Amino acid sequence: MIDREILLEKMKTSPYKPMRGKIIEARMLTDKEKFFRIQLEGKINLGHEPGQFVMVSIFGYTEAPISICSSPTDKGFFDLTVRNVGVFTNKLHTLNKGDIVGIRGPFGRGFPIDHMFGYDIVIVAGGLGIVPLRSLIRYITHNKNDFGNVWILVGCKTPAELLFKEETEEWMERSEIKINCTVDRADADWHGNVGLITTLIPGVDINPARTYAVVVGPPIMYRFVIAEILKKQIPEYQIIVSLERRMRCGLGKCGHCQIEGVYVCQSGPVFNYAQLKDFKGECHEKAV
Amino acid sequence: MKKQFNPERSRGAKPKVAFFDFTDCEGCQLQFANMGQALLEVAGLVDIVNFREIMSEEGQDYEIAFIEGSITTDKDVTRVKKIREKANVLVALGACATIGGVNGIKNRAPLELAKERVYGKKSDTINTINTMPVHKVVKVDYFIHGCPAYIPEIITVIKCLLMGRPYVLPNYAVCTECKMNENVCRYEKDQECLGPVTRAGCNSWCVNNGNRCYGCRGLVDNPAADGQKDILLKYGLKLEEILQHFTLYNDSMGEKYDQAFK
Amino acid sequence: MKYASIKKEDLNIWLEYLSGRARLYAPRKKENLFVFRPVKDISEIALKYIPTILPPKKYYFPQKEKLFKFKIRPFKTAKAIKEFEDFILFAVHTCDIAGIQCLDVIFRESPEDPNYLNRKEKMIIIGIECLEYCDKHANCTSMGNHVPRGGYDLMLVDIGEKFILHINSEKGEKLIRGLTYIKEANDADMLSLERVREAKKKIFKEELNGSLAKIYETFDRHFASPIWQDVGRRCVACGNCTSVCPTCYCFDTSDEMKLSLNEGMRYRIWNSCQMEDYAKVAGGEDFRKGRDSRQRHRYYRKFKYPVDKFNRYFCTGCGRCTRTCMAEISLIETVNSLLAAESGTPERPSASGVAERGEAK
Repeated sequence: MIDREILLEKMKTSPYKPMRGKIIEARMLTDKEKFFRIQLEGKINLGHEPGQFVMVSIFGYTEAPISICSSPTDKGFFDLTVRNVGVFTNKLHTLNKGDIVGIRGPFGRGFPIDHMFGYDIVIVAGGLGIVPLRSLIRYITHNKNDFGNVWILVGCKTPAELLFKEETEEWMERSEIKINCTVDRADADWHGNVGLITTLIPGVDINPARTYAVVVGPPIMYRFVIAEILKKQIPEYQIIVSLERRMRCGLGKCGHCQIEGVYVCQSGPVFNYAQLKDFKGECHEKAV
Repeated sequence: MKKQFNPERSRGAKPKVAFFDFTDCEGCQLQFANMGQALLEVAGLVDIVNFREIMSEEGQDYEIAFIEGSITTDKDVTRVKKIREKANVLVALGACATIGGVNGIKNRAPLELAKERVYGKKSDTINTINTMPVHKVVKVDYFIHGCPAYIPEIITVIKCLLMGRPYVLPNYAVCTECKMNENVCRYEKDQECLGPVTRAGCNSWCVNNGNRCYGCRGLVDNPAADGQKDILLKYGLKLEEILQHFTLYNDSMGEKYDQAFK
Repeated sequence: MKYASIKKEDLNIWLEYLSGRARLYAPRKKENLFVFRPVKDISEIALKYIPTILPPKKYYFPQKEKLFKFKIRPFKTAKAIKEFEDFILFAVHTCDIAGIQCLDVIFRESPEDPNYLNRKEKMIIIGIECLEYCDKHANCTSMGNHVPRGGYDLMLVDIGEKFILHINSEKGEKLIRGLTYIKEANDADMLSLERVREAKKKIFKEELNGSLAKIYETFDRHFASPIWQDVGRRCVACGNCTSVCPTCYCFDTSDEMKLSLNEGMRYRIWNSCQMEDYAKVAGGEDFRKGRDSRQRHRYYRKFKYPVDKFNRYFCTGCGRCTRTCMAEISLIETVNSLLAAESGTPERPSASGVAERGEAK
């Protein structure tokens, strides 16, 4: 916990100043997403909760919020996976092993792991949603005896877009985790399901009261997936989501990430569906 | 053959920069030449090989081309396409190049009529086409808006292009910068001002100096046409006059302007 | 000593004394409006003024503020500002003091914002109580900010030939201690103060047609009101209302490089929820599309969300947003339209009922 104190102290004296983070591994996962493994100065551990994010700085390009995709049980480093979508991420993609980035964080609330102990877990990942969920999946695989049955449902547009392929295959080999993938459009090599991710949900056999569903994906996906999950009678506060918003500070000040009165960077990005339901109209992810 | 422009190049190998002017007053190049101390620093980072206003050589070997002026003849079209083929990075400098500028006034009348008005009997021998900003003809990598271009923004764009990163134009109104400068609003003094719909980036240069905004930087992406028209009508302007205000610089922006204000 | 008094003719000596102790900022005339500016002489100061174009927030939350210096190779960060300087804000209205209190709440909330707190620590506030309305756009009485409610070091009240000084902190006490021309208020002074306050009660009346509790409830129920569409249609998204608001604190960050391209500075710059791209993510999804929903957001951030979170209204009643709006979107009218909709009385269409632009009465 010493590392956590160092981080908190840094935050207190200058929460806007990033720490030095060295890229110790970098590789393309698909043609749009790049994976980075980062080591902080003094090799201190980030000590994050699965589902939290960091603000990554590249001087001259400011900052962007990036989900952490490794588990706190992965010591000495943390992982990020970034899609190339704008000026900042475009620059980030040019960086490689040995390059330095600035890191602030971890920020926000992660997945409520403590509440999830002893429960069955259904993880639903759409597209890039697998990135923050990887932190949870890795945490669960490292602490499997704390959880009940685990289902992982992964969906993306094409097989080429599937992230963490090798890891997914490893997860598939583990007997205590059930994993199911689907693509919108198959190619010649694809032998799995074809269709929207919602089609995988009815097939999951669960005891709703003893189950947490964790859903992360593009905004449009939530309302359909959540509607399917609600049909399974899982209580609203056991349906967990993680929301993407524009963020500039991570400290609950700059205002960009607000959904109505809530700062996503501090109160989120992880919410349960009961919280989502309270929003009056600014939450696109809410089922109508 | 294009020369590869590599922002990560080794020190000493400076990228070659050339300036070309089309239909314009050369005032934006003058702004560049007037950068003062920064010009010396910039000259240390790039090799200016062609710049009629400050030197006599006319180098044709360049990687970065600054285009000043709008495209108004068939010859211009051919010429700017040639420059684009050669240049790795192309910068549109000033309102004429970025949005057509005042030259766009020509587009209000049928081309033949405009020709006759300007050239009289000789109009037959003149080739002219509707005024176009540079990006209507070739791909533009950097836009430096303004009539004339604002020196701090020129410097920001130079830094961006040397870093190899895009320059993201502000997508908010001049008012935002004007308020931060704590100017007394022109409307407060019953003067009409295009600040509310004009793209920021000039640090409200004109208003800081007692003038009003003429919209030389073009419109924001999604100008609030209804609201702006209401405001001007309230201040006693007729629709015709309002349109004249909006078209002074923006006429050649065609569809965007039409949708918003006509 | 809780109350002191100073003769008006001695004010200049005192100001000279103050400017020797710290940088002095006060309201000054700028064309037909007012701005806070550095001052040296009482003659420059406008003691009677309608709220300045920008609130004094520009001194404790500057438009463009340095966050830190950086170097790319080798990776290095450093403090941008070594030491913050002492400063005095002189003749601050009670509405703007309420604005400072709101920002205190925001920037003190964990995680704290040291940039703001460092400046705040160096700030001394000398307020001045308004004895009449600045203009018709103010709604300070409804917000309860027409009278002093703390948040200052000293408060000036004009009682005719003298100013009464309310001493509200040790910092304030230090600014008058040992000065022969500032005396402890006598009984006559206190009586005058009471009279002034009584007279004020006849002038200042609630400007909004409902109590704050009622307004809060109304906002809670009228999220989908067509009133927001009307406001949105008139709005030009210039962002003036947020720039001039003493309780708006949104910002963006920006890196500025030196021409060496290896060193630079990170800044934070005022930003506005009225801007087109304010809530748009890199992937393109815009979470607050439309000027109507962005205006609604601004209002909710004054009358609903901070009440939920801090039990504090973030409208100070200064009237700046109305005064600065070219489209003449009036806060009083918008809130009153909502109240009318809530009580079911026929609603006055806000576009037609626009008042003339504000001048000092």
